[in-house]
Amino acid sequence: MQEKNDNYFYIPQIKRRNQKAAIFKGLTIFSIVFSISFLVFFLVDIVRAGYPAFTQTYIKIEVSINDEVVENPYGVVNGKQLKIISRAWLRDLPLLIKSNPSWMNTKQEFWALANSEVDQYLKGKESRTSERDRAYVDELKNDGKVELKFNTLFLLSGDSKIPENSGIYSAIIGSLLTMIVTIAIAFPIGVMTAIYLEEFAPENKLTHIIEVNINNLAAIPSILFGLLGLAIFINFFGVPRSSPLVGGMTLALMSLPVIIVSSKAALKSVPASIRQAGFGLGLTKWQIVRDHVLPVAMPGILTGSIISIARAIGETAPLIIVGMIAFVPDAATSFSDAATVLPAQIFTWAGMPEKAYLERTAAAIIVLLVLLLSLNAVAIYLRKKFERKW
Amino acid sequence: MSNQTLYLIFFGGLVPLMFIGYIIGKARAVTIRSKGIKMHSQPDQYGWFVALYTGLPIITIGFVGVFLYLFGIHAIPPFMLVAGALSAGAIALWLFFRQVDAKTRARDSVENFIKGMLLVASLISVMTTFGILLSIIFEALHFFQTQSVSYFLFGTEWSPDTAFLEGAGRSDAATAQAKFGAVPIFAGTFYITIMAMILAVPVGLMSAIFMSEYATPKLRAQVKPFLEILAGIPTVVYGFFAALTIAPAIVKFFALFGIEAQYQNALSCGIIMGVMIIPFISSLSDDVISSVPQNMRNGAYALGMNKAETIRFVVLPSAMPGIIASILLAVSRALGETMIVVMAAGLRPNLTWNPLEDMTTVTVKIVESLTGDQEFNNPLTLSAFALGFVLFVVTLIINIISVNTIRSFHRKYKVSTL
Amino acid sequence: MTIKTCALSLLSVAALCSTAAARDQIKIVGSSTVYPFTSYVAEEFKAVTGNKTPVVESTGTGGGMKLFCAGAGLDTPDFTNASRPMKAEEFETCAKNGVTDITGMMVGFDGIAVAQSKTNGEIALSKEQLFLALAEEVPSKDGKSLIKNPYKTWNEIDAKLPNRKITVYGPPTTSGTRDSFDEMVMETASKKFDAYGDKKGKYKAIRQDGVYVPAGENDNLIVQKLTKDTAAFGIFGYSFLEENGDKINGAVVDGVACTSENISSGKYPISRSLYIYAKNSHRAEVKGMDEFFKLYVDDKMIGQKGVLKTIGLVPMTSEDLKKVQAAVLAKTKLTEEMVKKHTILP
Repeated sequence: MQEKNDNYFYIPQIKRRNQKAAIFKGLTIFSIVFSISFLVFFLVDIVRAGYPAFTQTYIKIEVSINDEVVENPYGVVNGKQLKIISRAWLRDLPLLIKSNPSWMNTKQEFWALANSEVDQYLKGKESRTSERDRAYVDELKNDGKVELKFNTLFLLSGDSKIPENSGIYSAIIGSLLTMIVTIAIAFPIGVMTAIYLEEFAPENKLTHIIEVNINNLAAIPSILFGLLGLAIFINFFGVPRSSPLVGGMTLALMSLPVIIVSSKAALKSVPASIRQAGFGLGLTKWQIVRDHVLPVAMPGILTGSIISIARAIGETAPLIIVGMIAFVPDAATSFSDAATVLPAQIFTWAGMPEKAYLERTAAAIIVLLVLLLSLNAVAIYLRKKFERKW
Repeated sequence: MSNQTLYLIFFGGLVPLMFIGYIIGKARAVTIRSKGIKMHSQPDQYGWFVALYTGLPIITIGFVGVFLYLFGIHAIPPFMLVAGALSAGAIALWLFFRQVDAKTRARDSVENFIKGMLLVASLISVMTTFGILLSIIFEALHFFQTQSVSYFLFGTEWSPDTAFLEGAGRSDAATAQAKFGAVPIFAGTFYITIMAMILAVPVGLMSAIFMSEYATPKLRAQVKPFLEILAGIPTVVYGFFAALTIAPAIVKFFALFGIEAQYQNALSCGIIMGVMIIPFISSLSDDVISSVPQNMRNGAYALGMNKAETIRFVVLPSAMPGIIASILLAVSRALGETMIVVMAAGLRPNLTWNPLEDMTTVTVKIVESLTGDQEFNNPLTLSAFALGFVLFVVTLIINIISVNTIRSFHRKYKVSTL
Repeated sequence: MTIKTCALSLLSVAALCSTAAARDQIKIVGSSTVYPFTSYVAEEFKAVTGNKTPVVESTGTGGGMKLFCAGAGLDTPDFTNASRPMKAEEFETCAKNGVTDITGMMVGFDGIAVAQSKTNGEIALSKEQLFLALAEEVPSKDGKSLIKNPYKTWNEIDAKLPNRKITVYGPPTTSGTRDSFDEMVMETASKKFDAYGDKKGKYKAIRQDGVYVPAGENDNLIVQKLTKDTAAFGIFGYSFLEENGDKINGAVVDGVACTSENISSGKYPISRSLYIYAKNSHRAEVKGMDEFFKLYVDDKMIGQKGVLKTIGLVPMTSEDLKKVQAAVLAKTKLTEEMVKKHTILP
């Protein structure tokens, strides 16, 4: 106590204050830890639910190929086998035989796709396979005739009503086509708007209106863009419903504000000295922008565009309104074909009753997240690599 | 003649004409220059001069024709339109070609043309806002022609059952009047938003404070990616996670206490939406807090405050307008959120304080009304547009307040970021 | 720079010019109930014939009719699914817009099941009991006036029913299933009560106090609910009952069990017919329409031993199927009388 009274700098409340400071700091650390652990928990849960979908059960069977099989493939297997083998595989058998005429009148061994209930059983999930069928499958497994192989169907085939036959191929192609339309529309218009606002726009009412508008667009809920797409692009302009064209146009309008804002920032970061040097040499404003400012600002513009595209890939709500959740098993081949996109596929599958779709939904989510992460990584890499310190 | 062929002819005429214009314009300018005459502009600028002004009439006539057709004013036969546009282009080509000489200020004309083109591009964002407004207002007005505005805004009963039948043509005087009181729906939206904010604001703000004040640059660089990943997760994925994992977990948790929770409870939506918004608030507040001038902090340290006190009593209050603006933006984001609630919230308009019950939001109702089994001109479908209109107005107002708050923050501190 | 610009613009033109004159992909819209069946056939169609898979969109019966009858151009759908027969007004709209040659086909039946968790054992309900449990207003004790529905447990309605809290998960107002339920249960049952006065036989308002919970299309969630909340009931299409037969069973309504045979014979009181309509004028322009229709009406699809039965369709009897097949293969044109009589057979 003596010490304390002698010490000129002693403040009685210092202990409490320092305690409070420590608690405060602890809270901030806790918040960050909470956010990160939620993210980790979420990723672990999704991966756990989804990775089973990357393998699929196949059953070895022997089939005698003859004309009867081409007529009625479902009769080629006996009753017990019929209950465990996928109908989709049997359905495709005639076409497979047609492309391999040398198989005719021979006995062939195939690894046939098992149906999804058997697949779920073998993966240890709840399944509707009957006890008898389960016993049969176990028997086959002991004989080495049942295997879990890598699920190429998931990546190579489109949506299907038969769970074991379904995949994300058509959704990926649809997303790709939609993104091409989105970039083709949003990038030029966004960059042109940013150039106008940064370089050419006079300080008048019109410029102010444009800037206010862009800010507003950024805050409008995505579903309202869907209403716009429905009312104006589909009903008024007559763009075909469910096509990547209308989806891309809607998403382009949604991505515009982000591209504009980031391009403006990129253009602003180019030092004035470059422009002034250009004027000094007698260049016109457009020549300066085209040949000097734009190339220098391009990495920043590209980064912003990639980030905005990454956001657009994950958008679902506006696309639901313009009809892109139809059953589209075939990949679209042109911009006006009906198509579906990856997030819409996830949404549709999430509502399907069959349990086999659950793991496929989670697996599709994994694919989507990987795609987004790589896009963002590319954007960040670009930003780091071309970052210039003036 | 099919559409496809017409497009091909149109562009097949447009592009070569412009190309020819460029070539001959430039060639002529080169010829004149080689005679020793001093020209106003560079040869290639003369080339562009001819090319651009050749293309202009073609495109303008094309656009005008298409818009006249779309608005139903006058349908010019497509073939005539294309032929007319191309011939106008050819005439313009000849006219502007004749203008290529030493005195023509081609450079200025080209500059102005490009400036005009950029202005038109910028106007697209304005047109988009108008487009959204028009598409919603038109149908919303249709809705309000048959339903009362005040009941919509203040009524508490949403029972569109019989409206469905009117649309299906099976109603008669005996059926009850459909009621479109949207208060339970607005309440659902606000309730879930508030729950999300209760989670997101403290966590987001504290994370922002950590990132900007306490973290070393190295730690900050390592932690930032995690938050950006959180921000980049698509909402449909969040919705799936909410319905699959969070909602059953909540039901199990409350069952331990003997409380029965619905599977489509509002709490799971609130939690997930909160997590979705955390990075939003965190990064915006981070920017705001970082831009508070250092001398304010220095002044506080000089007076003997420790770091936590500086933050609580000096930095945060000065950053408050910016933080409030970011919270408002986050609120408007949450209000408009669709996928999470479509997948995890219910369909029943429910005016209640219990977060364990199912309730519905504006966005869910919009999606439901536009993807259901009923007729298009049915009041139920039109109600989607009325709800969308309210959503638009509310988010607009919040956004304006937010922007003005940020602006006054800038004025106060003369900061030029954001 | 110019060469690049030219090339770019020509490329973009080529990309945009993808609107085809004749179409090689069939477009189908319509009811969300028939959607799973048509989608299945669409997939079969591709596997068997190698044509492009038809695009099937679930727009709802009303929405589908509107798109179908919007015109005869190639940008309109080729087929439309319907969970009810085409109405006279819709037929008129079609005719007015140039769609005059339509062939209809009956796909089968859909029963509406009142499902509950299997752990409850069997339960028998009558239409009136269902009605009294769900109506917004019910007759008072003396049967003369209407009061707000006070019933909270089933035994309050009828002492023979168990003491279970009334909770029903059912289709939302935007669903065709709800429309059918309203018509077949609510309206029919209201005939028995004089208290409804001139609304007798037409009353269908369902209570909004939380006893009836509109559930969306997410079947997973509904099964979860029924298995956790064993007192609750769910109102859905029969296909869903089939899918989850290990966890839920259907109530016996008016003495008839909810089985495939009872639905197809018409004994089960809450069932409706499913249809698909084809636009004959498109057959020449759109590739594969004839084969698709033929495949759909085949025994292998909608017959008593057909595949669609395994995903929950209640097929019609073999005699009826033969009549439908004859009508479809003969491209029978739909006439006004046929529409008025709610049939697709001549």
